[in-house]
Amino acid sequence: MRRRVVMTGMGAVTPVGHSVAATFAALLEGTSGVDRITHFDARTFPTTFAAEVKNFDLAEFVPDAARFKKCGSNTRFALAAAQMALADADFRGVDRGRVGVYLGAGEGSEDFDTVISGVGMATTDGRAVDHGAFARAAVAMLDGEREAELEMNTSAGHLADEFELLGPNYTCLTACAASAQALGEAAAMIRHGDADAMLAGGAHSMIHPFGVTGFNLLTALSTHNADPKKASRPFDLTRTGFVLGEGAGMIVLEEYEHARKRGATIYAELTGYGTTGDAYRMTDPHPAARGAGKCMAAAIADAGIRPDQIGYVNAHGTSTQANDESETTGIKMALGAAAYTTPVSSIKSMLGHLIAAGGVVELMVAVLAMRQGVVPPTINYETPDPACDLDYVPNFARQVAGVRHVLSNSFGFGGQNIALVASKMA
Amino acid sequence: MVFTGLGVLSPVGSDPAAFYAALLAGVSGVRPIAAFAVPTLPCRLAGEVQGYDGKKFLPAGNRDARKGLNKMARTVQFGFTTAVKAWEDAGGPLKGQIDPFRFGVEYGCVMVATETEDLAAGAKATTTGRPHSVDYAAWGTTGLGLVPPQWMLKYLPNMPACHASIYADAQGPNNTITAGDAASLLALGEAFRIVQRDLADAFLVGGCDSRINPVSYSRHTTFQELTRRNDLGDAAVQPFGLNRSGTVLGEGAAVFVAEELTAAQKRGVRIDGELVGFASGFDRGLTGTVLASVLRSALKEAGIAPADVDHVNANAGGFARLDAWEAKAIHAVFGGTTDVYAPKAQLGATGAASGLLELAASVLALKHGTLPGTRNAAEVDPALGVRVVTAPRPVAKPYAVKINATPMGQCAAAVVRRWDS
Repeated sequence: MRRRVVMTGMGAVTPVGHSVAATFAALLEGTSGVDRITHFDARTFPTTFAAEVKNFDLAEFVPDAARFKKCGSNTRFALAAAQMALADADFRGVDRGRVGVYLGAGEGSEDFDTVISGVGMATTDGRAVDHGAFARAAVAMLDGEREAELEMNTSAGHLADEFELLGPNYTCLTACAASAQALGEAAAMIRHGDADAMLAGGAHSMIHPFGVTGFNLLTALSTHNADPKKASRPFDLTRTGFVLGEGAGMIVLEEYEHARKRGATIYAELTGYGTTGDAYRMTDPHPAARGAGKCMAAAIADAGIRPDQIGYVNAHGTSTQANDESETTGIKMALGAAAYTTPVSSIKSMLGHLIAAGGVVELMVAVLAMRQGVVPPTINYETPDPACDLDYVPNFARQVAGVRHVLSNSFGFGGQNIALVASKMA
Repeated sequence: MVFTGLGVLSPVGSDPAAFYAALLAGVSGVRPIAAFAVPTLPCRLAGEVQGYDGKKFLPAGNRDARKGLNKMARTVQFGFTTAVKAWEDAGGPLKGQIDPFRFGVEYGCVMVATETEDLAAGAKATTTGRPHSVDYAAWGTTGLGLVPPQWMLKYLPNMPACHASIYADAQGPNNTITAGDAASLLALGEAFRIVQRDLADAFLVGGCDSRINPVSYSRHTTFQELTRRNDLGDAAVQPFGLNRSGTVLGEGAAVFVAEELTAAQKRGVRIDGELVGFASGFDRGLTGTVLASVLRSALKEAGIAPADVDHVNANAGGFARLDAWEAKAIHAVFGGTTDVYAPKAQLGATGAASGLLELAASVLALKHGTLPGTRNAAEVDPALGVRVVTAPRPVAKPYAVKINATPMGQCAAAVVRRWDS
């Protein structure tokens, strides 16, 4: 029999709260974290809003926070979420040599001002760039410590260093699927015996000029500047794109006997993990949801349950035309007739899209929904889309009884599909 | 899990045969940077892939693939075209069917820098020559719109794996590990575990990196441990050297086709070697104790003792502290009696590509029977307690161990075995 993997600690920093409890409470209230961008002057950008983390101070979470001042906000969010998750799991006395870290995490904030001003100095005609002149200018302007922190392995490295976690140390970046994939692979490591516990999750912020520029150019972002809180409207007919969010989420995954022996509180068991690739296009999901449907079905099969036993689906639900329609198709493929009677909601309507960090926060929320018997809504759901015809829990949280299994989806640009199933402990 | 196909792109050769021949001959890929003029940078050497033209690696008839190169940064092109060569080397789709849902892709790839040309028009419209100064209002109204629409997609680290999956119709698990210089060896380990839990029969496992461009090179100049001994030229990178002075950046890619043994045998394809053990960890404070235990775990999974190992293929690249750390762990596990080989002397530090590109050297050595010597290793630091192999010699035992690591402490070890049918 395979080793069982349970969740014994959770921590999060999100646009609506600096803890898991605060985040979940805000989501049940239907609170939107979306507002005007304050991280930089975005007033003339095609999109002027995002879901930012507000009033965050790392010093509330770790001693000597000044040590991390050159880190990206991804690492600072990660440190806070990890501290909360490990405290929640009460990890005192646990052998840290058998505990690893697996993050789906992005880059630190790229130095837009340096790169753009440097390119400006090295071009005369706006086409050709004198590379030597750029290098001269850039090296003079760049701060080496900040540049080192841009690299994507640094968040996981800092967590391992700060919390003395000496097991496998992985970082993956499969766009919007990354932290869900991190959880799935971290659980697999525990099952295989590579670790007894893993701190797994993600951290990301793309609310910087390059991030907004890139997504605006792809026309993936909503440009509903007149009313930002209404901009993220998953599954609604009038949806126009996603809203950038930022933050971090961390879950302590632990081998069941290891957790039981030390008397840990167990939130849920991570029972199912499905992972597929669309092998279709760079940004568009497969229209028949070939990969997405297959990965949900694989996660349900991995959990050893029937599709109609899923009591709640936390959707990827990005509020783009393509995702919400193909995801709906995929849920029907995987759940069959039960798709129409299972509540499906997208908390991206409130949190925006945390990109690499999205999946882990969404799984936590799904687990709390199962434990507390109440699912968060999809807000801004006003005009039904005939192509999206499931029960999206519109606008108000809903009591649900007897949910024993929940499904959480995450799909990345590039075609990486991840589905996770969490279950109440039998 | 066995290796059934290999694609290699490196500073010393752009196919496995040329790569292996150059390693044996002691050819160095470390040269003055040719890609752009860098008279003022402290390190002006690199291991470049010179004269790379992605189209030459793609089938002449596949116009979609050739056209697709325009949407890829150099790093992504490296990863994609090398996957195409590996897949061809393994017989491709012609040689037996693989269930697309049991065909996965695992890559190591890290930050991919923007090409400055993509930003030139926007920068000109929004800057006035003052450092750190950009007119944000102008960027929002004008500059942003002067950037190519698909700009971001050229640079996402998961794009090599995405393009490879589309090309080979690999619809199974698909992941991109971004753990710095350990990335592609960690990716190999993850593919190994996925095959072990019977979720895939075959994988494209790759690593790719190219940092010899203006943005990456400028960034890395500010924080990497790069040598300033430009005067030494191709002798500048001295793994475990008494006078080691840092490394140089290299670039390249390696992609293995890795298959579950019975699936490979059913397809009737050539087998180049086998992965038999893997472990990874985080050596906090670089004490050497975690790397030593990672090495022991990998050997344990392989079911062998240190004495069964022909050579250790090291991460060492002339790093002051990291080479010493690695040597300490190797000494703790193997004593001073196992040969250590360090390919970075010839390739430079190829970042996310390094794990698999360097592993390819050992797989080829075990297969063909001769281990290359480590270049620039005439004066090894005697305090390190490692026996560095300095000249080609016959392979004496069936196993090799590959180590990769980051300066932060992420580390991984893989054990490969010669294939003896």
